[in-house]
Amino acid sequence: MKLPIISPFLTCRRDFYQILGVTKSASIRDIKKAYRKLALQLHPDRNQDDPKAQDKFADLGAAYEVLSDEEKRKQYDAYGEDGLKEGHHGSHNDIFSSFFGDFGFMFGGNRQQQDRNIPRGNDIILDLEVTLEEVYSGNFVEVVRNKPIAREAPGKRKCNCRQEMRTTQLGPGRFQMTQEMVCDECPNVKLVNEERTLEVEIEQGVRDEMEYPFIGEGEPHIDGEPGDLRFRIKVLKHPVFERRGDDLYTNVTISLVEALVGFKMEIVHLDGHKVHIERDKVTKPGARMWKKGEGLPNFDNINIRGSLIITFDVEFPQTQLDEQQKEGIRSLLKQGSVQKVYNGLQGY
Amino acid sequence: SKQLGLRVAEHIEPLIVLMNVGTDAGKHNSELSYVTCGSLVKLLNTRHNVRLHSHDVKYGSGSGQQSVTGVENADDSNSYWQIRGKPNRPCKRGVAIKCGEAIRITHMKTGRNLHSHRFNSPLSNNQEVSAFGESGEGDDLDVWAVQCDNDHWERDEAVRFKHVGTDVYLSVTGEQYGHPIRGQREVHGMKSANQNNWWRSMEGVFIQPSQEPLRHDEL
Repeated sequence: MKLPIISPFLTCRRDFYQILGVTKSASIRDIKKAYRKLALQLHPDRNQDDPKAQDKFADLGAAYEVLSDEEKRKQYDAYGEDGLKEGHHGSHNDIFSSFFGDFGFMFGGNRQQQDRNIPRGNDIILDLEVTLEEVYSGNFVEVVRNKPIAREAPGKRKCNCRQEMRTTQLGPGRFQMTQEMVCDECPNVKLVNEERTLEVEIEQGVRDEMEYPFIGEGEPHIDGEPGDLRFRIKVLKHPVFERRGDDLYTNVTISLVEALVGFKMEIVHLDGHKVHIERDKVTKPGARMWKKGEGLPNFDNINIRGSLIITFDVEFPQTQLDEQQKEGIRSLLKQGSVQKVYNGLQGY
Repeated sequence: SKQLGLRVAEHIEPLIVLMNVGTDAGKHNSELSYVTCGSLVKLLNTRHNVRLHSHDVKYGSGSGQQSVTGVENADDSNSYWQIRGKPNRPCKRGVAIKCGEAIRITHMKTGRNLHSHRFNSPLSNNQEVSAFGESGEGDDLDVWAVQCDNDHWERDEAVRFKHVGTDVYLSVTGEQYGHPIRGQREVHGMKSANQNNWWRSMEGVFIQPSQEPLRHDEL
């Protein structure tokens, strides 16, 4: 006799943490990130062969609704699902569309492939500035979208206006063709402002100019569909690190003494962790140190990281040397005179 | 707690903001009622009921730069402007704009900044207001100060925009253009603060402040 396998999706007392795949101490950001990733995977439109897809998707929505709300999460942690004081508000559609827009569930094919005859409202593009810290660790940006929506109004209006050719007979065998504006009658609409919250994810490793579209959140079209709202990522310059692909470049100035005898130091990385650097040999000006795995996470696979490349330059002492110090240095360093003359520019 | 739902406002009047404006898990600020750095907005002149607008049409006189007008309709994406910091002093994304703060107002579609200079406006002989620059970068005459009574620029309150370089107020007095922008109103700068220079934020995408990304400070 087999014991029934209790799936987190099918019991009445659901494990919301397990459904989202997060730990009990997950931050709100972890929860949003997990929801966004799973929502795309579990959407019923994407799983048309799975009879349980609707249930799993509904469970996902319920899990997010509870765990993303401070009050509800406290109640759930203490008393379980049965202990939640109120029923579930808000349809899962609302939650889903706050991450993807109104028509975000039309998978498998662009909106453009839909009926081309339906007119579309304008798109809106918002340049979203993000810091390198956010590119490294990821983040969520909440925005409030206030937009005009076409609502029914009393009366009729003219719509689908077009030019048509009319033929009139002037006499036997004589005809005249004229152009006329012809309109249909449609129910009247008026524009009303409505408001909703959207969640934009700054994914780890995101690159400049990448876009996050929210379908249907653009400008309305009285006779058709609304356009889209697109967030275009603009990565800001950083005072310490320069990005090249997944690699980070930085410069460190050391003293002449450190360059000759060695040194230990720490570089504070984008998320606060410290990168330890140690040298016990001579460090030449322009020398580069390669720290693998200390670059940015790769957008397509965040388990792969680029490198941190550190270039050293040397600061010479500010004071001049007296004759005794000069003698001391000559005998310490034991480096003969070099004085090599050559063309260093070579056309540059 | 946060409800992710639709809230309907039947009038152009103060919008009913999302009901549960509480705090989220963690230290999450709520700036739902303010215009914040980085937000995209449409600005309505409250006296003449037109929205600040620009397009790829140049003035036929004055500076010959891209024209800025006031339009009646509410569904044109050419009426979106992004609120940004002064040149070389970016504002922090999501933070509410203070009353008195100097900002740039960048036209979304063309990337040009709201701008004014000592040229005459074509219809009323006030000071010309144009859209200037490329990809959000122009010059110091792109800077405007937000004037309001409170601490910060509130979304449902009217504010004035004072041009920092020439001390004029962004205004509409009702003059209308003919073809090819029939019905659009002239937008210009005028010296006096009066009923014609009040503006209100309307439709838009209002950015909220984010939490700082995760820190892993070693002990």
